[in-house]
Amino acid sequence: MDIFTVALLLSTLRLATPVALIALGETFSERAGIINVGVEGTATLGALVVALISFYTRSPWLALFAALVAGGLAGALHALWCIRWRANHVVSGIGINILVGGLAMFITGAVWGWRGTSPSAPTLNPWIIVIAGFVIICVAQVYLFRTRWGLRLRVVGEKPEAADTAGVNVHLTQYFYTILNGVLCGLAGAFFFNNLGRFTFGMVGGRGFIGIAAMVIGNYSPLGGLGAALLFGFVDALQMRLQAHIPNQFSIMLPYLLTVVVLAAFIRRANVPAALGRHYVKQ
Amino acid sequence: MRQRLRGWLGTALVRETGLTLLAVALAFAVGTLIIWAAGFSISAVFTNLWRGAFGNRISLGQTLTQATPIIFTSLSFLIAFRCGLFNIGAEGQLYVGAMAAAVVGTVLRVPAWLGVPLCLAAGGLAGAFWGWIPGLLKARRGVNEFVTTMMLSYVAIELTNFLVAPRGPLHDRTAWSNQTVRIATTAMLPRIMRPTQVSMALVIAGIAAIVVWYFLFRTPSGYELRSVGQSPAAAEYGGIRTPRKIVLALTLAGFLAGLGGAGEVLGTHYRFIAGFSPGYGWDGIAGGLIARAHPVAAVFAGLLMGALRAGGMQVQRARAAPGDIATVLQGLVIFFIIAPMLIRRLLIWKRRRN
Amino acid sequence: MTSDQGGAMAELAVRMEGIVKRLPGVVANDGIDFALERGEIHGLLGENGAGKTVLMSVLYGLYHPDAGTIAVRGRKQSMTSPSKAIRLGIGMVHQHFMLVPRLTVTENIMLGSEPMKGGLFLDERAARRAITELAEQYGLPVEPKARVEQLSVGHQQRVEIIKALYRGAETLILDEPTAVLTEQEVEHLSAALRKLRGEEKSTVFITHKLSEALALCDRITVLRKGKVVGTVRAKETSERELAEMMVGREVVFTVRRREATSGQETALRVEDVEADDDRALPALKGISFELRKQEILGIAGVEGNGQAELAEVLTGLRPAKSGRILLGGVDLSGKKAHDYIARGIAHIPADRQRRGLVLSFTLKENAVLGQHRNPRFSVGPFWQKQRAIGVYTQEIMDAYNVKAPSPSALAQNLSGGNQQRLIIGREFSKSPQVIVASQPTRGLDVGGIEYVREQLLNMRDKGAAVLLISMDLDEILMLSDRIAVIYDGRIVAIKDPEETDRQELGELMLRGAGEMAGRAG
Repeated sequence: MDIFTVALLLSTLRLATPVALIALGETFSERAGIINVGVEGTATLGALVVALISFYTRSPWLALFAALVAGGLAGALHALWCIRWRANHVVSGIGINILVGGLAMFITGAVWGWRGTSPSAPTLNPWIIVIAGFVIICVAQVYLFRTRWGLRLRVVGEKPEAADTAGVNVHLTQYFYTILNGVLCGLAGAFFFNNLGRFTFGMVGGRGFIGIAAMVIGNYSPLGGLGAALLFGFVDALQMRLQAHIPNQFSIMLPYLLTVVVLAAFIRRANVPAALGRHYVKQ
Repeated sequence: MRQRLRGWLGTALVRETGLTLLAVALAFAVGTLIIWAAGFSISAVFTNLWRGAFGNRISLGQTLTQATPIIFTSLSFLIAFRCGLFNIGAEGQLYVGAMAAAVVGTVLRVPAWLGVPLCLAAGGLAGAFWGWIPGLLKARRGVNEFVTTMMLSYVAIELTNFLVAPRGPLHDRTAWSNQTVRIATTAMLPRIMRPTQVSMALVIAGIAAIVVWYFLFRTPSGYELRSVGQSPAAAEYGGIRTPRKIVLALTLAGFLAGLGGAGEVLGTHYRFIAGFSPGYGWDGIAGGLIARAHPVAAVFAGLLMGALRAGGMQVQRARAAPGDIATVLQGLVIFFIIAPMLIRRLLIWKRRRN
Repeated sequence: MTSDQGGAMAELAVRMEGIVKRLPGVVANDGIDFALERGEIHGLLGENGAGKTVLMSVLYGLYHPDAGTIAVRGRKQSMTSPSKAIRLGIGMVHQHFMLVPRLTVTENIMLGSEPMKGGLFLDERAARRAITELAEQYGLPVEPKARVEQLSVGHQQRVEIIKALYRGAETLILDEPTAVLTEQEVEHLSAALRKLRGEEKSTVFITHKLSEALALCDRITVLRKGKVVGTVRAKETSERELAEMMVGREVVFTVRRREATSGQETALRVEDVEADDDRALPALKGISFELRKQEILGIAGVEGNGQAELAEVLTGLRPAKSGRILLGGVDLSGKKAHDYIARGIAHIPADRQRRGLVLSFTLKENAVLGQHRNPRFSVGPFWQKQRAIGVYTQEIMDAYNVKAPSPSALAQNLSGGNQQRLIIGREFSKSPQVIVASQPTRGLDVGGIEYVREQLLNMRDKGAAVLLISMDLDEILMLSDRIAVIYDGRIVAIKDPEETDRQELGELMLRGAGEMAGRAG
């Protein structure tokens, strides 16, 4: 078939990037024991902020930076709620998704007068983010398993008491990696904007949740998450080419169905951090 | 008498309610700040919010109409939550329920006393099936139900979309929009507050809330479901088969959301319309959380969500601000609701200052 | 009165003065003075809840004291965190090990002070070399490349001690180190401690066992209810004196109350049962025994030899891979917890907060856990008899002395002792034929322990068959009519308590029967 081409390969790499970045972010925060299902909303926020700043400053680089900061702030909010106020992690993440959803509509409406979309604004070449993403993921793999900070991170999510008695600041670690997760989601969001040239509501379209699925399938390792993300990227790229051949509702459905099927088929529970979702209370 | 009153005031119910109201108040305070920062008139926004929600009979009707499906999805969320599960897919279950009800409603030619229950049952069962799949995957293979319910929600929306799209089998060829034909009059739920769209579905939602309460707190089966949610290990120790309860909880969650979808078709739109839900599934998550997973409180939480939606529409119409300020408020409420420690801390801080 | 630079103080490894630590509902340390000399093994003796662990947690920087001062090697210090304590040369081995099961021994030990190469990467080889050296120096063999989850409890304890030494501990705090060890392992441990003493390192040895304190320590400080009763030299005191200091009155050592009326009829027969643990590794490797009516069969063994799995298999919480479990002639293997409950097996689980109770439920809801489908409390799946449940709960509370404001109170608001009484009340009220009691007295105070033991004997006298699983050899010896020793997933011997002693049992627990002369632990 003529749909299997170099172009397909390239769009696989492109579409895999945001999923892989979110999977990596979630790997960091869950290795520190913090579940964040707010990645979907955080990526949306990143895309919105990058559109706003790029529209007003005409500087896509500044906009990219702003998206990272916004993502980090969303991560910080989540961390504050989960660590300081001991909220249920999942519920706090849902809160982020709903709040950002509302804000995205409200802000686009308030600023541009269109509910949920931005006008086009200057973009970066999305391949910059793709390449940066792949480099970050490789570095993260080494960081997690070959450095002292990686070791400490792994211990915090497995047994915070052990980290604490070894002199590792558990809460600080959790804050750091939850914020880092937000920053990576912000980067993913920036990709969505730069890929399309504008912000539209729903442009993340469940890729945040798919990122979480990719992390699970990748067994909590950065490279594993990348592998799973590439699979989704491929199916995503494929479905776009299939739209000419089958009703587009079915092709849109494909990545979501695939997620369910792959999760059901390949589930491995080996590396779930033992203290995931727990509130560590220092005595 | 006095002592009894004091005893009542000290109960968990009153404390929980107090904390909830305080959280709502705090959310509105932060929301006000956002409105102010965005440069809108605070008074105009809140006047219109109120007018749109409760200003007259029509707006009250709008609130109640919107609250109806949200009560169902709130119940859907909370029944799974009580079993320690997250049903994030109420939106999709709502759609398949609505579709099933619409199909049965257009095909069947039976008297109303039979037609309406059949359509409701069809909607509930279709939703139940959509909840049963993630339930089974969770129970058998430990697949995270959060992700699967969400993914299946997208699938449901696209699937129903396809059915009513121009090339789809159920598309109403006489209409421009993607919808089915009108259901039979014998399948329609009576309107109870003319000229608004409020229908018997609201009453059914209220009854459903009481039934869910009874089920959770007064039946052995509900007891088992809650045990699994509170402590899976202890539930297992008590001879409770955890996997079965997981399947049950998500199936019931799907059933309730599906019922909500059926109510929309039978009571409000009289047909399935693609994209008819503006996010009732998500509202249900907020509703279930604000109700603190209590079924009776979910009715009030649903009303609050409905009022925010109706009020938001008026805010939009009056050009006071984008109507989505309502969703922002909803998100803020969640944040304050789920951090009782934060509220307690704020109270202590206030007391200290006094 | 005392000056910071006193000449005598320089000799002390640690001096704690006037330590006060309040915990919710209790003053855990109430003005404690404690002095640790260099190169001594110092016993910290007291009952559960006397404040021993809290005092040492204050020294280790885990708790911040409400009052009092701490001096390390003559210098006043505020112990703000464990890392500060580590920097000052203090190491602590907790009762519940602070090891990450999924990581290797090396990763666990180097955590917090990891050697680096190239300024960026972990240098595991250097860490392994250092670990091996320490292991040889003090006679504490460990396997650096193994994952901790694969190691025996004794091995894990050695890892913990090396972890402390690796971080340069001059003062070592051991919290109840012998609770998980056999007599023979205790011997090895004390040899290592003596080597440490030879190098001028100091050890604080927290225990509630008199004999061990006497055998191992140079000096002993006794705590009672958060206060120091006194410090004595081990050579100049006796068990009786220490016991009196601990409890505050003259102690009559508990007499074993057993009438040996044990029947001959079999209540439960276990035939060749095999089962896996949570990691899918074989934990029970062909267990067979018989439990008779009207007897207490004690299961003695070192923690982690299959006891937890045995209790779960016998109550339907864990599937048996093979073998038969016969209760009154009916084979229950392959059945679920629900069927075991229906057949009259009661279970006092080891982890009462996780397994035994739903903490966020009311006492009423907890009282019917496991019997909620009983016709006494429900009709079909859709009707619960609220009133009957309330009355029943009140009965349990009265009969078993559960102190709570009302049957509608939440289980999580009860003290540990009351929680255990509620569980025992619930389980015993079913008039069970067989009782599986897993560590029924762990974590209780003296009064609670006596109460629970009394109840177990009562049930036996009423005809129930009791399987008592306990890591406390004294408890096993005190209560059992017969003692079965479990080792590596098998019952290696069944002994009459009259005809055996701690020495023999310890030998069996450590090495099994056939392998007595074989490999070392």
